[in-house]
Amino acid sequence: MGSKKILLVDDSSTARLVTRLIFSQKSNYVLLSAVDGKDAVERALAEKPDLILMDVMMPRMTGLEACRALKQHKETSKIPVMLLTTRGGEQFVEEGYESGCSDYLTKPVNDTELLELLKAYLGE
Amino acid sequence: MSATEEKKPQPEAQNREGSAHETRGLTFGALRVRAQQLSLREQLERQHFLLERLNAASARLLQAIELGDVYEAIGEIIGNLLGSEQVAIFRHHTSDQTFSVVWSVGIESETLRQFGMGAGFLGRAAHEGISQFRNRRPDRPVLPHEANLTACIPLKRDREVIGVIVMLRLLPQKNGLEWADFELLKYLETYGAVAAQLQDLRENPVKP
Repeated sequence: MGSKKILLVDDSSTARLVTRLIFSQKSNYVLLSAVDGKDAVERALAEKPDLILMDVMMPRMTGLEACRALKQHKETSKIPVMLLTTRGGEQFVEEGYESGCSDYLTKPVNDTELLELLKAYLGE
Repeated sequence: MSATEEKKPQPEAQNREGSAHETRGLTFGALRVRAQQLSLREQLERQHFLLERLNAASARLLQAIELGDVYEAIGEIIGNLLGSEQVAIFRHHTSDQTFSVVWSVGIESETLRQFGMGAGFLGRAAHEGISQFRNRRPDRPVLPHEANLTACIPLKRDREVIGVIVMLRLLPQKNGLEWADFELLKYLETYGAVAAQLQDLRENPVKP
């Protein structure tokens, strides 16, 4: 069985770099990346990742908009989307779940907890 | 069976008792060792966690090829690894001993633009060249624009302060700065300054 593909979406290169370092050291996942919501939808349709880990506040298309768009496409509607953001308020969390995400995590995230959660979603 | 014989402990019983003592002793000993191992592992996990962050911070600083990108990298490192989205970076102007903002995120532009060396909490931290944390110095008076201050980190090479990182509020989900955060800030204090000063020299070489 091949390694699972995770699409990481964040406009911050630091965030992408940190996640890439964590994943390369502690997992066998294949990490794809996108720089905003629009890019994420395009890549998800093309690559069919097993899971999407996405920031919320991004230019061109926010994570919430991208999540809604992904849930509307037949090919991507079943892919679990985890929103990973600095916005931790109750209202933001509610908005996140309304967009159709499977989980809502706040930054800064604990590496071990994140990987455990991913494993659970990926059925490992 | 004689009384003497009765008092004699039976070899089997003696063995059982001895063995129980030993097992109990071994169990306590093993538990102590296990607790020590767990404690050590916890410490090492924490240090490893910091190492990962320093690694990421270094990689990001090394990627920055322009001065503006160095500032952005510092801001992003604080935003993503520490948990604050109210950050400003100030540059030191040696000519008039003032600091002016060169990069900021989440801060009203009019609120915090400039300060003088020695003035207010920020100015004093810059003057002393030592990182200051508001909750550690509640006695120090603050100016109105410093009200939400969390930390002030001088960017310095040796003793020369070339700028200052100002962190206002932490993210609501962040309960406070932790050991790894202080270490990361210490790293930025020096290596953020190195990256910024080097890019500055590359972009603005000193004319003979």
